[in-house]
Amino acid sequence: MPGVKKYDAIVIGGGHNGLTAAAYLSRAGKKVLVLERRYILGGAAVTEEIFPGFKFSVCSYVVSLMKPNVMRELMLPKFGLELLPLESTFTPLDNDYLLRTADADQTYREIARHSLRDAEAYTRFGPLMGQIGMAVRPILETIAPNPIRPSLSDLSKTKKLLDHFKTLSSEQFEYLTKLMTMSSADFLDEWFEYEPLKASMAASGIIGTFMGPRSPGSAYVMLHHYMGDIDGAFRAWGFQRGGTGAVSMAIARSAEYFGADIMTEAPVEKVIVKNGKAVGVALENGDEYKSDIVISGLDPKLSFLKMVDESDLPSDFVTDIKNFRIRGSSGKVNLALDGLPNFTCLPGDGHHLRGAISISPSYDHLEKAYDDAKYGNFSKEPYMDIILPSVLDPDMAPPGKHVMSCFVQYAPYDIKGGWNDQKREAFGDAVINTIARFAPNIKDIILHRQVLTPADLESTFGLTEGNIFHGELSLQQLFTMRPAVKWADYTTPIKNYFRCGSGTHPGGGITGSPGEMAAKKILGIWS
Amino acid sequence: MSYENQFTAHTQLKLSPFFKRTSKLNESQEWRRWSGFLAATNYELHHENEYFAIRTKAALLDITPLKKYIIEGPDSQRFLNRLVTRNISICKVGQVMYTPWCDEEGKVIDDGTVQRLSENKFRITSAEPNLNWIQHNATGMDLTVRDDSVSTAALALQGPNSRDILNEVASDSLDSLKFFWMMDTTFGDISVSISRTGYTGDLGYEIWMDPKDAIAVWDLLLDKGKSFGITPTGLQALDIARIEAGLILLDVDYVSSRHALIESRKSSPYELGLGWAVKMKKKDFIGKAALEAEVVRGPEWDFVGIEIQWHELEKHFRKAGLAPGLPSTAWRTSTPLYKGSKQVGYATSGAWSPILKRYIALAHVKSEYADEGSELMFELKVEHYRKLTPAKVVKTPFFDPERKRSCLA
Amino acid sequence: MNRFDVIVVGGGINSLITASLLGKAGKKVVVLEARDQVGGLASTTEFAPGFRCNIINDTLKWIDPRVMKDLNLEANGLALIQPEVVQVTLSENGEHISFNRDPRLTAASIANFSQKDAKSWPAFIEYIEKLAQFLERLYQLTPPELPNIGLSEILPMRLMLGPAFKHGTRGLVDLMRVAPMMMPELVDEWFENELVRSAISMAGINHLSFGPFAAGTGYNLLHQHVHGKGVFHNTQFVKGGTGELAQVLASVAGSNNVEIRTGSKVKSIDVENGRCNGISLTGGESIQADRIVSGLDPKNTFMNLVGTSNLNPNFHTQLNNIRYRGSTARVHFALNKLPEINGILQDQMKTVFSVGPSIEYQERASDSVKYGTIAENPTIEFTIPSLINHEFAPGGKHVLSATVQYAPYHLRDQVWSSKLNEQLKNNVVRVLDNYIPDFSSLIETTSVLSPKDLENEFGLTEGNLNHGEMTLDQFFFMRPTMSTAQYKSPIENLYLCGPGTHPGGGLHGTNGFNSAREILKG
Repeated sequence: MPGVKKYDAIVIGGGHNGLTAAAYLSRAGKKVLVLERRYILGGAAVTEEIFPGFKFSVCSYVVSLMKPNVMRELMLPKFGLELLPLESTFTPLDNDYLLRTADADQTYREIARHSLRDAEAYTRFGPLMGQIGMAVRPILETIAPNPIRPSLSDLSKTKKLLDHFKTLSSEQFEYLTKLMTMSSADFLDEWFEYEPLKASMAASGIIGTFMGPRSPGSAYVMLHHYMGDIDGAFRAWGFQRGGTGAVSMAIARSAEYFGADIMTEAPVEKVIVKNGKAVGVALENGDEYKSDIVISGLDPKLSFLKMVDESDLPSDFVTDIKNFRIRGSSGKVNLALDGLPNFTCLPGDGHHLRGAISISPSYDHLEKAYDDAKYGNFSKEPYMDIILPSVLDPDMAPPGKHVMSCFVQYAPYDIKGGWNDQKREAFGDAVINTIARFAPNIKDIILHRQVLTPADLESTFGLTEGNIFHGELSLQQLFTMRPAVKWADYTTPIKNYFRCGSGTHPGGGITGSPGEMAAKKILGIWS
Repeated sequence: MSYENQFTAHTQLKLSPFFKRTSKLNESQEWRRWSGFLAATNYELHHENEYFAIRTKAALLDITPLKKYIIEGPDSQRFLNRLVTRNISICKVGQVMYTPWCDEEGKVIDDGTVQRLSENKFRITSAEPNLNWIQHNATGMDLTVRDDSVSTAALALQGPNSRDILNEVASDSLDSLKFFWMMDTTFGDISVSISRTGYTGDLGYEIWMDPKDAIAVWDLLLDKGKSFGITPTGLQALDIARIEAGLILLDVDYVSSRHALIESRKSSPYELGLGWAVKMKKKDFIGKAALEAEVVRGPEWDFVGIEIQWHELEKHFRKAGLAPGLPSTAWRTSTPLYKGSKQVGYATSGAWSPILKRYIALAHVKSEYADEGSELMFELKVEHYRKLTPAKVVKTPFFDPERKRSCLA
Repeated sequence: MNRFDVIVVGGGINSLITASLLGKAGKKVVVLEARDQVGGLASTTEFAPGFRCNIINDTLKWIDPRVMKDLNLEANGLALIQPEVVQVTLSENGEHISFNRDPRLTAASIANFSQKDAKSWPAFIEYIEKLAQFLERLYQLTPPELPNIGLSEILPMRLMLGPAFKHGTRGLVDLMRVAPMMMPELVDEWFENELVRSAISMAGINHLSFGPFAAGTGYNLLHQHVHGKGVFHNTQFVKGGTGELAQVLASVAGSNNVEIRTGSKVKSIDVENGRCNGISLTGGESIQADRIVSGLDPKNTFMNLVGTSNLNPNFHTQLNNIRYRGSTARVHFALNKLPEINGILQDQMKTVFSVGPSIEYQERASDSVKYGTIAENPTIEFTIPSLINHEFAPGGKHVLSATVQYAPYHLRDQVWSSKLNEQLKNNVVRVLDNYIPDFSSLIETTSVLSPKDLENEFGLTEGNLNHGEMTLDQFFFMRPTMSTAQYKSPIENLYLCGPGTHPGGGLHGTNGFNSAREILKG
């Protein structure tokens, strides 16, 4: 009977981080309840059959940053985790193309076709970024210390990190500093000269951010994307069989296997706070659930400005949360296709369709797309990261048909005049027209299209302002400052109220990391 | 058995201008990747005949995949003197020098040959792409750098009969061409350059030509060389020969400092046995200060030849009821070397030398254990079990025939 | 005798300060300046018959108090004018905000636009002042050699503890929060009125090639407010013109037995085996010294004077990667009478006026850098120096000097030429016409200095006034490169003292002071 049954922990939100936290807590023997607002689990990592026979990873579409220890500890392969490699990155140009593949020799020759110098530099760049990615990992894997009133363990954590930095070579330290502060364009200009190559690499520095490739700070996001590893290989991107929703489902099954209860269509109205302590949650339908602790997988804005009353929080903390930047900048267009797109520069089927297709012919293309967004419009010619999941996993579409996932930037949340149906369609048209520039047959093969604006991402998935990372990945919103100083260790000013979403350290992407680290922090407090 | 092989490669790998011929001759269809080229591992099903061609007849190898750069201009000598560790100012026109080059920490980036084509024109060969490094350090100098890797094709003709074959083919005699010198000549109406260099430690030549002449040169050599036992030869035979000659191989015996992810993977010329090629009297070159400091300190490592003692090796196999079984090809797996219970080094490549009848290897050994005659223990696997067997530090080259350097005229 | 303890290359502010401090410590010092007057960016000149201007800087934001004290600049004749109104932000409709030395007056001026913002003002400047105090301490330090930092490098950092005790570590955390911010992020936290927001943002983009939407403009804003004593947009004029600062420093140098040679252009810093012991002048003369200090920017110092073939490859790469990208131009107008400025009374004009009426306006101006064009509608800061120093113009006439952004050094598909200078001038005139009625009709002569002109005239690489962009990747231990952040260089005996070093550009002399300290140590 609702209201009576007592849980050790309740997780608000059945996104992949919420599920991960639930799985870890259950695995430690705790009784956990996960409450998901929608009919389906996964949050932004969800697969839905939008059109009959066509399955889409509706939002998040690739897996690169998932932590291997999470996969192992939660036994995810047993519950359906199957990651297929994304073979290549294909950048179509008007009269040529750039195709980077898993084979180093092949990629060397392909780049050498455009620039001999770049081909050579590329062989050094990847390993160096991998090394730096490895160098940052201890930060990512450390629960952020409190710099205001550091505890003994905070001090020892800080010392450990400092000691770690002393082990870096000065070259690594130099590049790390640059990556933390520079624009991806400036950083890449130090290495390369061929613009489509630079633009395609810089593109990973703008994904999910409200920045252009020439905006300082974008290099860090680029590094963030270099930190993923699948099968121990850095920066290997993967596609989950059955779509990213299958990742969430694997975690959910793991959580259930360890004893968690999971409820869908159970929207939480409020966290019940008594005497400064969280004691349970109230659902929109009036049901109440009691528990020792409550964990929010929602973004910081929803977690603090909606789920609890401001009066239960210190006022400077409320200011910090209000100042937390969470501007959404991306949209998603999902297409059901009657066949494969045919690229003018590289016609027909081939390797190039089995990987990411990056619409990033030049810095200017990206920068102009950003300019549109800066001044309150969606990009007329957007940057896109496209994949064709049905090429990798035929089950995603009926035989002979295909699904195409287009991650699109920029689509600002705060568009001039606000988003409406007409603007959504115009945005969809801009996307199709841009693809048609490189693959003219696209217009003839579209069976259905789904266009998601940041406003849609907010209303459907509860992402405030449609921000896919639960808060921008800017330097001042990382580590001890994510989401606010003193509260970056998954605790909150409300006792027994915790957080585990992407809006905590180490941030967004399908990593499972915030969920895992939050659970570990909580278990530490409990023991 | 002889048959016409119809293999054509539909591959994204590059094909050398000799491929039309080599692909048909390659009975084994075993290929390796070499700098993005498809290169024959061996032509016959076993490499033995090719190996003995190097040592007793004449072996013909396609070495086009080597990286080559042309450096030309008034500052080229000054530039190369700064780039490499050897003294290029004493390199005369028509002379060739083998040299490593280093980063500013004195760690080796690559090694290759420098050919002085004219007063102000040089060709430098390397194992890996070095264009960025060369161009970066040439900033502000009056010279041009051109990647010559695909604009020049190259063959190596190695072995005791190589001179005789070339004398048959070339319009000029090679009798007076000295070791590490080169000359321009013609094969009929085809212009070629011939350098007396190679990677086998034997009498041998390398022939540099325009790729458009590649097939004609190949056919000519094979035709005229037939009676001298000319044999198309693959990389497996070459690997044994170069170990016998004590010649190092990038990415096998050492890692380029440009690609080494950690400090301990880098080596100085002293640590690669190339101390002789470091000319400290030169005014300045990249890495000089660091190398000076290293000389004062004494290098930590040495690079040596070792010979695995046959008698004890045989005993290990006997105990297992077997005759000694060694791989017939050269190996490249890092193998530990011990002094007592302490690991003091590792061998990076080794082979049974068919000509010397000795089991030899090239190894990195801590300096204090690297003197000639030093006795170490080599890790050996006999029938799935690890054994330690004695090995001795010996002088390289293991094989060094008189004919390598001698001249007829 | 051509033998000195120290040769200082370049006769800018920092060079003169380093030279004086070394002279004061008993060293035999010579300063070699290529131009016919010392001062570098602190120069005053006649740009048209009877009309004088401060070539680059009309104002000083701050001077390092240690320099003021150690070189006794006031007693030696440096007279600073500190106007009550430090800056006026203009808007197109004739309204404006006055930034005053007294924050209450500033708040009152802001109140015309937003009561809420006026209320926030005192807390805001307190906040900025707090963060600036941390920077002040940081600026006094020689950056540590990272990542292998030892106790000896950490000890001097205790200077930072002072403000930490005062403000708590929260202050330090706030510094780390604000420095990487972009202007809209900072002002979103405090202000609602666009003119107020844009007025603050102007400080963040000062002399930068980036616009207000660039992360790290927070740091540039704080840099302007070090030693600002709580005055936002602090402004000080030099009596007699900015060039007077150089004259005073030159005379101080003289009294410390420093020899100053103008018209002496250094051709090369002579290096053998990684060590330098002298220089050669373009005239052919060679001068020897134990130490060489360069006040020039890193590229000029190392690539041009030392020569790339004397640099180790990694250092060479680091030098290649320093970003300069000057995008600030100066335009001086000789006017036939005192201009009227909409909404401004005649006695309110002895200050700095800023034109960049919205953050979007500023950002759009900065977009031109990305596409390699001259901003159609630039942001402008202007002063009328002839009101402050009457000798700048003949009786009744005046000078208006404008600092203009953005005019990028790197143009696409075109090169700087007199035609483009003309176009730049026209853009400035067109914009100013909106604020100064009939401005174009007042102009007698114009002098335009594009970044290219600045490079040619002052040897500033890419015309960057700060000898390297003021961005976080070129800050502290990264300035100018990781291997030269301690004012010394991989070339033995060769030191740096210019704005290319920590803590960056401006006529404050901290670089010169810190550099002298390091040289005297070694």
